[in-house]
Amino acid sequence: MWRAMLTVSALELRTRLRDGTAIVIALVVPVTLATLFGLALGGDDPPLRATVGFVDLDGGEFPASVRREVTAAEELKGSVTLRDLPSGGEARRALDADEIGAAIIFPAGFTRSVGAGEGGDVTVLTSPRSPLAGVVAGAVVDRISAVVDARTLAVRAALLAGVPGERVKELVERNGAAGPALTLTGDPLAGGKVDLAVYYGSGMAALFAFFVVGASFRSLLTERKLGTLDRMRAGPLAAWVPVAGKAVVGFALAMVSVCATWVSGTLIFGSSWGDPLAVLAVLTAHVLAAAAITMLVAARVKTDAQADGVIMVISFVMAFLGGSLVPLHSLPGVLQAVALLTPNGWTATALAELAGSGASVAAVMGPIGVLLAIALGAGGLAVLGLRKGMLL
Amino acid sequence: MTAALSCGGLGKRYGDLVAVHDVGFSIAPGQAYGLLGPNGAGKTTTISMLVGLLRPDTGTVLVGGVDLAREPLRAKSRIGYVPQEIALYPELTGRENLRFFGRLFGLPRRALATRIAEVLDLIGLADRADTKLGTYSGGMKRRINIGAALLHRPEVLILDEPTVGVDPQSRKAILEGLERLVGDGMALLYTSHYMEEVERVCDRVAIIDHGRIVADGTRRELVSLVGGADTVELVLDGDVEAACAKLRAVEGVAEAVRTGAASVRLMADGGRYLLPSLITAVEGHATVTATQVIEPDLEATFLHLTGTTLRD
Repeated sequence: MWRAMLTVSALELRTRLRDGTAIVIALVVPVTLATLFGLALGGDDPPLRATVGFVDLDGGEFPASVRREVTAAEELKGSVTLRDLPSGGEARRALDADEIGAAIIFPAGFTRSVGAGEGGDVTVLTSPRSPLAGVVAGAVVDRISAVVDARTLAVRAALLAGVPGERVKELVERNGAAGPALTLTGDPLAGGKVDLAVYYGSGMAALFAFFVVGASFRSLLTERKLGTLDRMRAGPLAAWVPVAGKAVVGFALAMVSVCATWVSGTLIFGSSWGDPLAVLAVLTAHVLAAAAITMLVAARVKTDAQADGVIMVISFVMAFLGGSLVPLHSLPGVLQAVALLTPNGWTATALAELAGSGASVAAVMGPIGVLLAIALGAGGLAVLGLRKGMLL
Repeated sequence: MTAALSCGGLGKRYGDLVAVHDVGFSIAPGQAYGLLGPNGAGKTTTISMLVGLLRPDTGTVLVGGVDLAREPLRAKSRIGYVPQEIALYPELTGRENLRFFGRLFGLPRRALATRIAEVLDLIGLADRADTKLGTYSGGMKRRINIGAALLHRPEVLILDEPTVGVDPQSRKAILEGLERLVGDGMALLYTSHYMEEVERVCDRVAIIDHGRIVADGTRRELVSLVGGADTVELVLDGDVEAACAKLRAVEGVAEAVRTGAASVRLMADGGRYLLPSLITAVEGHATVTATQVIEPDLEATFLHLTGTTLRD
């Protein structure tokens, strides 16, 4: 059966290469558009503004020092605002409502615990919708962790050496282990910057993935019109062979398309999309979701011409709402929420997170999971529709 | 002997519409079986169920004794299906089309080239095999359409209107080729609008109407169903509809069907002797300008059983 599937794939690939759709739609157009958008609009960073929630349940020196430092840091002026919140629950609510982009929560007794050499945990809440705030909060907490670790180690060493408890604090601070004073080194915003060329490049990649993979499922309807699909289905081969043969080619061409757009953007503009493995994982999940959605379209329409129209409309609507044509941060709040109803929205969010923070694949497992869920849901419905429409 | 193709109790409904009801027949190896019916009679639905494109609501299909529902791949490997439309790729050459379907149907790569050459010889297109299908005439495309179904040496060939839109030369070549295949032992299921083709190629014919087989037998058996009824063709000048009604009322006329703007076809016992009565019957409504009396044949049987002409 695999040989039969490869036979279908080979013909599909040959047809796509012969009629030029593989080269034009998968490579020329997305790379050209991404480059033009990048040249015209890239280079400038999106507006860097973020509000970080600040929950101080401790009331001690540590939170106070952090507040002083963040407020005084030159790099953060005009960009980052701290908002005091009464509790962790309120911080989560504000984060879900996009009122804040991240939150730092100091638990009760934090300062005392660190002072006693017992260490302490600071909670950080982040949202993929505001990578900048997440980066700032992360930078602050990283610094806190370093201070806490140093302080805890020094206190334990002093206690082990037999220094009386009441003298430990004075001894430790006099000998250089930093106290609650916090210093932000470097530019904590550096990781939060995303070149607009990356936004537009990834947007074009996400948009054209639909067209490229959709063309293969559209050709299934062309085959039905030609009668060749019925000839295949009447032959001694499993029903899934024609669909799978075309799906493989559509998926492969779409992967080539998104990767070519990614590589060209990186080479032309020198801007990184983030950890390559994570980017590849996100793009793969996006192409799977696009494949399932376009397969669902092919399963529901009657003709290949209808499929063309519907796939075009769906692709552009999802691209616009999902931040592929206009960066998500430029959309009104309502549309930013609507974006998460589209695979493009999750893809844009994940790629912005990767490009902005330099995070690894673990940071975007959520969006990848959602994209795979979309692929499974739409794919399942598509299979039912294909059976009903005598395509499978 | 195991039948090359047999079906029994085949049924298919679409909501309230009964497309096929209790259809059954059997085709032995080396036998050509014709399926005749007017448009919408259920021929294509029946064929779709026989080749596994449609799942029947009721009934079974056995291909060389293999149950199509239980072992679809094994059963389908014994069927060659020639769809009504030219189900080929116009951008490929004739040989490339055959190569594609040969590979798809599992022919080993080395044997495939030889088999393609055999099939091209059989359909008489060896010299045009390497030009694009889009440049072929309708008849040549039809021949490749049949050739693609022969590649895997099926035991039964199912043809759905294989000569529609074909020039006389290609039709002759196709029919001769089919006769050779049947002579070599292949079973054939054949549907066509051309009665003379069915009469020439098929040993046995089933007439299907409103989803049911209304008659099944050899040509002789079917013609005998009409009894002594002749077909009488009349050309009229005047109110043809009113004249047709009058003709139905003439004693001895079993059927009267309008077949054109000025023509009527009748089934009548002793039609030749009935002519004076027929001419008199239409007086006042129309004038008979031409007559033709045809002895009973398969077409007459078809008209008798279905009340329509085959091309209606």
